[in-house]
Amino acid sequence: MEQVYLGIVLAPLFGAVLAGLFGRYIGRSGSHWVTIAGVAVSFALSLLVFKQIIIDGAAPFNGAIYTWMVSDGIKFEIGFLVDQLTALMIVVVTFVSLMVHIYTIGYMHDDPGYQRFFSYIALFTFSMLMLVMSNNFLQLFFGWEAVGLVSYLLIGFWFQRESAIYANLKAFLVNRVGDLGFLLGIAVILMHFNTLDYAQIFKMAPHLAHETVTFIPGYEWSLMTVICILLFIGAMGKSAQVPLHVWLPDSMEGPTPISALIHAATMVTAGIFMVARMSPLFELSETALSFMMLIGAVTALSMGLLGIVQNDIKRVVAYSTLSQLGYMTVALGASAYAGAIFHLMTHAFFKALLFLAAGSVIIALHHEQDIRKMGALKNHLPITYWTFLIGTLALIGFPGFSGFFSKDAIIEAVYESTLPGAGMAYAAVMIGVFVTALYSFRLLFLVFHGESRVDAHTRKHLHESPWVVTVPLIALAIPSVIMGAIHAGPMLFHDFFGKAIFVLPQHDVLAHMGREYQGVMGFVLHGLIEPPVWLAFAGIATAWWCYIKHPEIPAVVMSRCATLYRILCNKYGFDDFNDTVFAGGGRRFGRLLWQVGDVTVVDGVMVNGTARGIGWFSSVVRHVQTGYLYHYAFAIIIGLVLMLGWPLLSQ
Amino acid sequence: MEHIIFYIFSAILVLSALMVITVRNPVHAALFLVLAFFTSAALWLLLEAEFLALILVLVYVGAVMVLFLFVVMMLDINLTVLREGFTSYLPVGALIATLILIEMALVVGPEHFGLDSVAAPVPHTAGYSNTQALGNVLYTVYVYPFEIAGVILLVAIIGAIALTLRRRPQTKYQDPSQQVLVRSKDRVRIIKMPSEKKRGGA
Amino acid sequence: MDFTLPNFAPAMPEIFVLSMACIILIVDLFLTEHTRVVTYLLSLITLIAAAVLTANLDTAEPVLTFSGTFINDSMAVVLKLFIYLITFVVLVYSHNYLRTRQLYQGEYFVLILFAVLGMMVLVSAHSLLTIYLGLELLSLSLYTLVALRRDSVSASEAAMKYFVLGALASGILLYGLSMLYGVTGSLDIGNISSHISTSIATPAEHSIVLVFALVFVLVGILFKLGAVPFHMWVPDVYHGAPTSVTLFIGTAPKIAAFAMLMRLLVDGLGDLHSQWQTMIIIVAVLSMAAGNIIAIAQTNLKRMLAYSTIAHVGFLLLGILSGTLNGYASSMFYVIVYALMSLGGFGMIILLSRAGFEADRLEDFKGLNQRSPWFAFMMLILMFSMAGVPPTVGFYAKLAVLQAVVEADLVWLAVLAVVFSVIGAYYYLRIIKLMYFDQPDDVAPLAAGFDMRLAMSANGLAILGLGLFPSGLLTLCARALNP
Repeated sequence: MEQVYLGIVLAPLFGAVLAGLFGRYIGRSGSHWVTIAGVAVSFALSLLVFKQIIIDGAAPFNGAIYTWMVSDGIKFEIGFLVDQLTALMIVVVTFVSLMVHIYTIGYMHDDPGYQRFFSYIALFTFSMLMLVMSNNFLQLFFGWEAVGLVSYLLIGFWFQRESAIYANLKAFLVNRVGDLGFLLGIAVILMHFNTLDYAQIFKMAPHLAHETVTFIPGYEWSLMTVICILLFIGAMGKSAQVPLHVWLPDSMEGPTPISALIHAATMVTAGIFMVARMSPLFELSETALSFMMLIGAVTALSMGLLGIVQNDIKRVVAYSTLSQLGYMTVALGASAYAGAIFHLMTHAFFKALLFLAAGSVIIALHHEQDIRKMGALKNHLPITYWTFLIGTLALIGFPGFSGFFSKDAIIEAVYESTLPGAGMAYAAVMIGVFVTALYSFRLLFLVFHGESRVDAHTRKHLHESPWVVTVPLIALAIPSVIMGAIHAGPMLFHDFFGKAIFVLPQHDVLAHMGREYQGVMGFVLHGLIEPPVWLAFAGIATAWWCYIKHPEIPAVVMSRCATLYRILCNKYGFDDFNDTVFAGGGRRFGRLLWQVGDVTVVDGVMVNGTARGIGWFSSVVRHVQTGYLYHYAFAIIIGLVLMLGWPLLSQ
Repeated sequence: MEHIIFYIFSAILVLSALMVITVRNPVHAALFLVLAFFTSAALWLLLEAEFLALILVLVYVGAVMVLFLFVVMMLDINLTVLREGFTSYLPVGALIATLILIEMALVVGPEHFGLDSVAAPVPHTAGYSNTQALGNVLYTVYVYPFEIAGVILLVAIIGAIALTLRRRPQTKYQDPSQQVLVRSKDRVRIIKMPSEKKRGGA
Repeated sequence: MDFTLPNFAPAMPEIFVLSMACIILIVDLFLTEHTRVVTYLLSLITLIAAAVLTANLDTAEPVLTFSGTFINDSMAVVLKLFIYLITFVVLVYSHNYLRTRQLYQGEYFVLILFAVLGMMVLVSAHSLLTIYLGLELLSLSLYTLVALRRDSVSASEAAMKYFVLGALASGILLYGLSMLYGVTGSLDIGNISSHISTSIATPAEHSIVLVFALVFVLVGILFKLGAVPFHMWVPDVYHGAPTSVTLFIGTAPKIAAFAMLMRLLVDGLGDLHSQWQTMIIIVAVLSMAAGNIIAIAQTNLKRMLAYSTIAHVGFLLLGILSGTLNGYASSMFYVIVYALMSLGGFGMIILLSRAGFEADRLEDFKGLNQRSPWFAFMMLILMFSMAGVPPTVGFYAKLAVLQAVVEADLVWLAVLAVVFSVIGAYYYLRIIKLMYFDQPDDVAPLAAGFDMRLAMSANGLAILGLGLFPSGLLTLCARALNP
């Protein structure tokens, strides 16, 4: 089996290397064929693994492939841990990635950086696979950073654009903040567990549950809480939780396929996956769980609200991603790891679908992204419209669609949770449902219904996108509908994940819910009498009322609540705060250091001083290295005398 | 008695070695070196190492030094040029030399290598042959070092030949085979010319 | 006189190389300038066959033969194999270089084979006598190789300096060896070691003599390695010798010198560790300091690499001075890695040179990226590796020795070493800057042949590959010393 696992990881890498280094020789079509083949192989093998582990119930694999080095008794290895969680993740990742690859053929058709793009996205897939298949923190961190790096390259793919460079820099820097926490977390683990291997750490964790550490004298912290919160800070960076979310909306500067890849299957899910993978650690710290739940709740609600005021089609979808990530984090906080992963999976499908459909609209309108210049596209782009509608319904949790099951499970789990903060989180996610429905249908109505605001020239050339674009849409639409119904039972309430996810009995909300679970139909019927569904319907109704029935209402509301609108438009001021305090302060601090430290100390004393020193030294040395033989011989003799004298003097 | 002979020869050895590096005339220096070899051969004789002593005289004095003398005489080196820096380097050199001397005296002095710390070797019986003893071990126990020493000599020969054997374009040399193979027409070219009448008178 | 025939089997590689060297010497007499490629090929075949013979030796237990003057153990086998490999590549690199410079003589190949033989003797020496003879065989061959280009004034000068200083160092070494013999009464390394360990157990009257013998021996070895203050010959000889010879001197003999260090200092005088540790610390610090700082001021690449060699020797000594098996293994790793990097570095100069043009100035590397991106990349890897930048193998070499130093509770020394390697990074990175950011003065296409290009690429990729997967070679070194 090791070959299969290796094959899963290496096939995309192979494609990436070929397309990246030899793209010039194999040409455009060569590049997309080789990368698509790589990802397809990877997907096929993932399915095989999925079948073996989940359907046939084979034992999870955990082993090292290669020992990179051993230092101080700590092994640094490359190894795979393939259990139910991994098997699910690799299928999702490779499937969405494969769809994005195919879609890219159409979307990037005229781009000069065609080969480069394919190389990047294949590399991205490779990094994500390394991350999810890892059996130790070193490799996890490698995947983590590799994903960050490639996302940097991809967001700034159109590097001629000023805004793209700003966005990729922002993404990179914000992720650095998270990564610092993550790295510190790994360091604390290494310090106390003396290993990087998951299995060993999980085995030792319960024994260290009551350890405390002291960083500031006088304050004792629980070791597990410190580790978990540090790790979660890493997850906050990658999975874009408040206040480290600021990079994600800007990352829309990248080409649309990459938005789909980043937001659906790969980067942002890394944090969620990591927390689920670390469930044996997080379970030991209620503080960390509460913390996660609160952060998730704040993200889920506040980011959803922002979605209402955005006018860029991709940004609306981006804010919805943020909001949905908040839902997943809340689920993690409520110990409903399975719920979080379930939502991650359904979200991967419908969010990829929404992005790709949005991309299809953008192609049709010749790279116009402003929804105020769209409208009434329904008849021009039928396939796009219907798939987009499916994605939207799944997103808002329309009964029967995949999102319904996962979101409902999360809300229910929060309701059941007894951790501090669960009440507030419950309120937030409930309101979030209404908000989600509102902004989703606002988008749908503004783009596909109502009056057409497309300019005349573009309208003449409107036509449905080519098959390489629509096929992935359809392929993604199907799981967006059915995945929830198929997996809701086994994944949430039956022992789908086996030992991959660990939940303490007193936290196990899903088990509690499971006792009342009576099949898919029961779940749907039960959902119909629960408030979330009605909130969603209320959201749809509001959107219809405001944007179809009485399109003048939004302007009125906007002028009545100008302050609120401004706050939302400024995205709560996070960006301004970061720009003035962190970036501006950093610049001021940097200038100070530059003037005092660099110009005076480094340039003046060290650089020029060193240069002078070395100049002086070499002039002295030039006297020694005369080229005369007898000088050299003499130096040897002097060396000999000194070395002889040393033991005599020291005795 | 042995002590007295030892000290006499040692004194001559040290003095002649000193002369080798101080006398002005290179021929004299070479000759002092010969003297040094002779005295050390005498010291070896005292140690009953007759074979080595004789080899030293035969090889070094008889072959190496004679060759050396030839070279020195033929090259006519102007030593005054070589000695120009001598006085300016003398103080430093003397200091280092003294230091080494002190350090060496501390180590190889009588307390470590004196007569009482190293037992005197037992004299051999009359029939003992130094040469035979060497011959017995040279090709048996020490065959490996001996062979390598042979290889070193081979390399020395190769090196010497490679570095000296070369054709300078301006060097004049004979090639007998070419001389033998030469044919008359290579040397004399007979050109037929129509006879010309004497023009005019004298 | 009872004497049994020695066991010749462990020395088969030596016997084979010697026989082949003599055969090639004679065969070459019948060859002309145009058919001399036969000599070249025969030399390569000799090295391959010797490697096969060596690899087939049984090293489960160290084998002594020739009355204890010869030892074959796993360290000897590993080091010999690397010596063959490096010499093989040296010959491939220099083949074309020699042809374009009237250096294409049979003697070149024969002398290199004799030098290899000398190194083999040295690596397998188990007696003061064989150590000395091996060293002399190696040195004499090298002196001649340096001088082989008789019409070049700089080569003759370099050969003269090398010869005289080498003779002086040999004399010093021999003096130390004779003192050792005087104190212990034996030439055999094993006997010397056991004599010292018993005399250290009882308060020894000979100890100061032993220490003096140690100093003399040490000076002899340090000269061969080129450590400060016995380094003066290194830049002049590296600079003056033809590049193909510098290539050889700078690589394989360092491995032999390491073996000599191991045999004499560790196997023989290991019990005097407390004595030689301090001396080596001083020498190592001086070497790293002088090598790295002076290299900055160089404009000639061969000279710069010479100083970088001195700095690397400082690092190599760090592993030795820790006095642990781990430390020795890390030094062994370092010396092998260093030889491979140095091979690439000098090989690059040969690659860029052509008839009538030596590419040994730093300016000659200007804008190499525009002329040949691939070889600029190879040079980049080599320079990164020399500077110790991960993921090249040079990083692991430095890491391993530093680890050994830290384990020996000499953290300050490790810190100092890192500081010096940071200083050193400057001049390696300068070459990268020249290659990638400057405009080329000279736009002639590279003249190197296919074999050279292939070997150079393999060399560069090996540095990268070993850096990505260092554990194989690391384990090999550790196992060679501690089977």
